[in-house]
Amino acid sequence: MQDKDREKGFKDWFLDNWTNKPIFSTGIALVVMIILQTWSLGFDYDSLGSWFLTWINNWINILRNNAGVGLIALGMSFVIMSAGIDLSVGSTLVAVGASLMMLIDRGPNGILINLGIEGIPAIFIAVILSLAIGYFLGNLNGLLITRGGIPPFVVTLATMKFYRSVTQHFMQGYNPRVPMQFLGISNFQIGSFRVMPVIYWLLIAGVLYFVSKRTTFGRQIIAVGSNERSANLSGVNVKKVKRRVYAITGLLVSFAAIIQVSRIGSMDYANAGSGYEMEAIAAAVVGGTSMSGGRGTVIGTILGVLIIAVMNNLLNLLGVPPFLREAFKGLILIGAVLMQKKQKSV
Amino acid sequence: MKIEMKNISRAFGAIQALKDVDFSVQGGEVCALIGENGAGKSTLMNILGGVLPADQGEILIDGEKVEFNSPAESLNSGIAFIHQELNLINDLPIYENMFIGRELKNKRGFLDLEKMESKTREVFEKMQIKLDPKTMVRDLDTSYKQIVEISRAIMMDASIIIMDEPTTSLTDQEIERVFSMMETLKKHDVGIVFISHKLSEVMEFCDRYTVLRNGETVAEGLVEEVTVDQLAYSMVGHEVRTESLQRETEFGEEVLRVENLTFENNFKDISFSAHKGEILGVTGLLGDGRRELFEAIFGSGQIESGEIYLKGEKIRVRNTTDALQKGIGYLPRDRKENGIIKDMNIFENASIVTWPIFDNWGVIDLERQEKEFEQQVKDLQIKMDQKNDPINSLSGGNQQKIVLAKWLIASPELFILDNPTQGVDVGAKEDIYDIILELAAEDIAVIILSSEAKEIIRICDRSLVMYHGIIQGELKGDSMTEHEIMRLATGAQTNSRQEGS
Repeated sequence: MQDKDREKGFKDWFLDNWTNKPIFSTGIALVVMIILQTWSLGFDYDSLGSWFLTWINNWINILRNNAGVGLIALGMSFVIMSAGIDLSVGSTLVAVGASLMMLIDRGPNGILINLGIEGIPAIFIAVILSLAIGYFLGNLNGLLITRGGIPPFVVTLATMKFYRSVTQHFMQGYNPRVPMQFLGISNFQIGSFRVMPVIYWLLIAGVLYFVSKRTTFGRQIIAVGSNERSANLSGVNVKKVKRRVYAITGLLVSFAAIIQVSRIGSMDYANAGSGYEMEAIAAAVVGGTSMSGGRGTVIGTILGVLIIAVMNNLLNLLGVPPFLREAFKGLILIGAVLMQKKQKSV
Repeated sequence: MKIEMKNISRAFGAIQALKDVDFSVQGGEVCALIGENGAGKSTLMNILGGVLPADQGEILIDGEKVEFNSPAESLNSGIAFIHQELNLINDLPIYENMFIGRELKNKRGFLDLEKMESKTREVFEKMQIKLDPKTMVRDLDTSYKQIVEISRAIMMDASIIIMDEPTTSLTDQEIERVFSMMETLKKHDVGIVFISHKLSEVMEFCDRYTVLRNGETVAEGLVEEVTVDQLAYSMVGHEVRTESLQRETEFGEEVLRVENLTFENNFKDISFSAHKGEILGVTGLLGDGRRELFEAIFGSGQIESGEIYLKGEKIRVRNTTDALQKGIGYLPRDRKENGIIKDMNIFENASIVTWPIFDNWGVIDLERQEKEFEQQVKDLQIKMDQKNDPINSLSGGNQQKIVLAKWLIASPELFILDNPTQGVDVGAKEDIYDIILELAAEDIAVIILSSEAKEIIRICDRSLVMYHGIIQGELKGDSMTEHEIMRLATGAQTNSRQEGS
């Protein structure tokens, strides 16, 4: 044993990290996928410059398309770390999106315009109010779970039904007109790149990384998820921590809703965000979050989102029929969990 | 049946857990396997139970060499291992638990519930256990779960039963029950390996003993030929104190006063007070309600009526965070379930309580936490490698010290400790007693909940004995004897007052 430790080469270093650090193995999986993706992008361009531009554009597309789900996955990983689950994220997205559109509508029914608020102030107020609405809806989930003592799965299944159905009912036959300025939130270009959603995602991820590593609240999430009784008997306000986890997820869903509405200027209330809860759970799990709580990281979740996104892109480039793509997602999910299980038992 | 283990060695990485250990046990005898945590007792028994393979050595059953590659093989040879973590399914009734994996079926292939139930009843009658086989295991307390598991081993015709610290979480009364059960087992010619820290139980009940220290056999022989002190000496390698640590002092002002506290049938009309610098003991048998009472005072349980006064001021403790802010600390029993958080490292486990106290706008004050942590590691003599190691890498005693440390950093004015020495070895136990005495010397009001009368007598200045949710009596000074505690705990009225006057 001791001899082996002494002559620790690259192989041992690699194996050690591979078996002990989920982020390392997830990262390696991502790198492999990026190599495959780069390879399948082909090299038959006029120059290296134009190839590189295509590569970059492809990447910005991937990231921008996944910024929304990426934000939701971050919230979801917090929820799962606290040993909970939130199925209502997709419906919350629609509810917040609808409220946002009603606020900024330039037509005769627009709320803010009827109050005489227009232009940049209107956008600013609408954004703040939609964040508040998302936080409130998430907080409602949290209250029902902690005060009502109802299991998170049941509460969020119920609100998932409720939020979308109510939104659809009140929004039927109502076609809001979104002001052009508002679209700038997502479509503002830096150079020739439309990267704003990606920037929002990474900025917020940075904040959440800090929250999860260095704040009382962030560490208490792990404590609550790992051993609720121990946490309670250590003076942690378990109910408050749980409630805030759902509220923050609601807040992150609002960011996703704002990005989504400002990207295309409309929303399909029946289908937008549907299935996002599963996408977010998948990303969190692939990134090493434990479904039984107590384990998970922000970086892992980002890697999880990227792995699934890059794989989608890869399957697309390879011309795999669309209906089959979901199957690959399923395979990745099982593969990731099997790998993590092996790591745990070592 | 006679089992011999010869020249057993086993290493975990660089650590030699067992070196050339011999051990034997035969039908009809109780052999004690004693040693501090980490001495190698569990490793040795895991090898016998087929959980771990040995690196070297052999196992003989009645002189014939055997090899166990799995717990099932060991069980088939008649060796049953009752682990500390009980192996029962909470959501099934007792009788189904008795037959897990070997369910009885009727001719049509369905479960024969009636037969399983009646068989269970038979075993319970034989063992004189008053339990309804239809009770859900969830509704049993740890001691009864233990008894169910022992009964299961008996029903499987085990000839040798290994019990890993069976009395750790039991009250004195329950321990008596388990012992009388073991007595019956002996009569049925069953051999018992009794792994324990509690030397008094070894003296009282065992026939032979083997002491392990650092993976080696340091002493063995007949129990009747040794004294507790000799055994303790072999275990620890140095002298152990056994005298009472009670101090004759006047105590400071009142810190906690409780008046007529009641919650349903858990505790009724409880009134008492605790003072600065005093160590107040609260004891009783299982179901006495002391844990419920003090969890309620700590804000983790409910209160129906009655008042709590902290330093003369009437308070209402809404939750544990509230209790923490008011200066109440609580060291729970069952460290694994209530004390530690296994997904967090040593340092985090030691600082969880004070995160919200020291943080700046929600950001953890790492610098201060590290400083406080290092101070506690030094003060409590916590043995560890890296502070980022998993909490499970520490021995039981050191884990308990970490749980203590997290509260000490918060410097509570009132510190409630429930079974503070549960599952720790003799050496660490003494350390913890020293720490508690030091806390009292620093004018903290300390309340110790314990089911061990000896522990109460040893460290407490005054004690309350509870019986079925009421305070049956208060003892101090010379009247605090094991006999008197037991009398009150079993429901007898106090008579010490008459004797005193």
